[in-house]
Amino acid sequence: MITLPAKVPIKQLTTGVPGLDDILGGGLPEFSFNIIAGAPGCGKTTMAHQFVFANATKERPAIYFTVLGEPALKMLRYQQQYSFFDASKLNTSVRFVNLSDALITRGLDGILEEITKVVEAGNPGVVVVDSFRTLLHNPGKNKNEISPDLFVQRLGLLLTGWQATTFLVGEYAETELRDSPVFTVADGLFWLSQDVDRNSIVRKLQIMKLRGQGSVPGKHTFRITDDGIRAYSRTLGLISRKRKMPSVKRLSTGIPELDQMMGGGIPEGDSFLVSGSSGTGKSLLATQFIAEGLRQGQPGIVAIFEESTDEYAERANSFGLNLQPAVKDGSLRLMYLRPLDLSVDETVHDIIEAIRKTGAKRLVIDSLAGFEMALAPAFRTDFRESLYRMIFSLTGMGITILSTLEMEESFKELRFSTFLISFLTDDIMRLRYVEIDGQLRKILMVVKMRGGDHSKDIREYEITSKGFVIGDRLKGYDHLITGIPNRARQKP
Amino acid sequence: MNRNSPSPEIRAIAQHLLARETGAGDSPQTHEQRAFLVAEKLRHPLSTLVGATGYRALLARAVALAKAQDPGLGRLQVKPDGSLDGLSELSNGHAVEAGGAVITEILGLLEVFIGEELTIRLVSDIWPDLPAFETEPEIEPK
Repeated sequence: MITLPAKVPIKQLTTGVPGLDDILGGGLPEFSFNIIAGAPGCGKTTMAHQFVFANATKERPAIYFTVLGEPALKMLRYQQQYSFFDASKLNTSVRFVNLSDALITRGLDGILEEITKVVEAGNPGVVVVDSFRTLLHNPGKNKNEISPDLFVQRLGLLLTGWQATTFLVGEYAETELRDSPVFTVADGLFWLSQDVDRNSIVRKLQIMKLRGQGSVPGKHTFRITDDGIRAYSRTLGLISRKRKMPSVKRLSTGIPELDQMMGGGIPEGDSFLVSGSSGTGKSLLATQFIAEGLRQGQPGIVAIFEESTDEYAERANSFGLNLQPAVKDGSLRLMYLRPLDLSVDETVHDIIEAIRKTGAKRLVIDSLAGFEMALAPAFRTDFRESLYRMIFSLTGMGITILSTLEMEESFKELRFSTFLISFLTDDIMRLRYVEIDGQLRKILMVVKMRGGDHSKDIREYEITSKGFVIGDRLKGYDHLITGIPNRARQKP
Repeated sequence: MNRNSPSPEIRAIAQHLLARETGAGDSPQTHEQRAFLVAEKLRHPLSTLVGATGYRALLARAVALAKAQDPGLGRLQVKPDGSLDGLSELSNGHAVEAGGAVITEILGLLEVFIGEELTIRLVSDIWPDLPAFETEPEIEPK
């Protein structure tokens, strides 16, 4: 008995847009009929070109129909600036055909005739019509011409019948979603948007519809660079990656007394937060953590937001921590991430790329406040949610994260962290100033260890030329955590 | 390099196209017909790319640029259908220059918009055996 496959396999084509294939669930379904929609300037034409150049071959070329939109000469002029543009494909595997005259003189019937003629002669594997919306909204002189609904349906039939994967590009508004027949016929709907928030622009992409396969829901950040569009999946490209099993291993911070307070060090794969006000040694502690990892053969990454990599390395050097050899041999990557208008997804993408290249086991984020400031205002409102996704993704890869957090010092209360992010971290350590005997001294305490028991001691520490030196538990004082302690009364 | 004027390579290609249209058939083409034939061969593929209106606009601009260099080409014009008109009214020698100037300018316009490489690719599609033109790089004026 012959066993037939249960379902037809659908080949997935690469979109040519880095990050987008992940969002689509592997790639674009072959022979699908898709729409790229959005306001002017969103990158619709660029996305279509990336798809065209990634898939066009001499045997199955791409035909790019232009209609009343951007003139082809301008399109070629601008698109050739991107690195994906391959001039050798022009007129061999990528052909441009202008349909404006056919539309003006013969209306939608003329367009359909012209597209049919070119498609039947050219055997294209990819067809783009740009701009499709202007085509439907600018009927020709013939009042008896085919209706837009019928036109869309026939076009869909033609291009599917000729085994072409199609993109219709149009400047649609979301309000048009319900009324336009093209959205019903389409297999895939790619919605691009750009929002201005204060002085920054945030570009987002949403797959509103995709027949035949699961795509990642929600709005994904994208950026237009010299290489074209680059999309950043909300799942950070880790959706298919299995989470590592929790480890029982502890990572040393390079400060034996602190390791002891934490029950042997930071549990591997944990997110560890060091919070404290300016000058309490957060960055130094983070650097010692990284340096200890390097000493033990564990590559690391430091994401810096508030100073240059040279400044960071120089400061580490002043504490006897020479990071340069590790930077040179590739086991340490210092990443300066300060451009404004960053999205968390872009940042995490860069970090994940660095992790893949270095095999890093330890990651320092110095600092969360600097990270937030580097984000576009629109992303700051989602910072906590974004931070959650980032930490969940990275710790899921088995990376141990140490984040620093600048805290405004209060001498009335002790706050563990701002941003309401305590619940996002597995372990929290608090550094703070305290006034004792007319001196500004420093204390530290381990506030939370999700992985188990930890020291309850409040211990004094000093920052010396050799780094953190942790002293004994501070005894004989009440209200240490307020910063203004009293001498404890001796019990009678 | 002055980006508003066609590069030496584009000029060489224009001259080559004009020259090769001579003797395409048994009867030698008249000088003004050469430019007309080159323009006509350019018309279809360029109209496919930029539309008939787009091609007519490019040719009209090329004629205007040619006229700016030689005011004696006053009667030269582009007809509504996108074909060249008025070449036959010029003297033989003048028609050669005019035709050469118009073809050079239209290729120069393509060069300005889409660059030399894509322009040569487009021309090579129409004249597949177009030879490679090695030209000396222009020296930037000090």
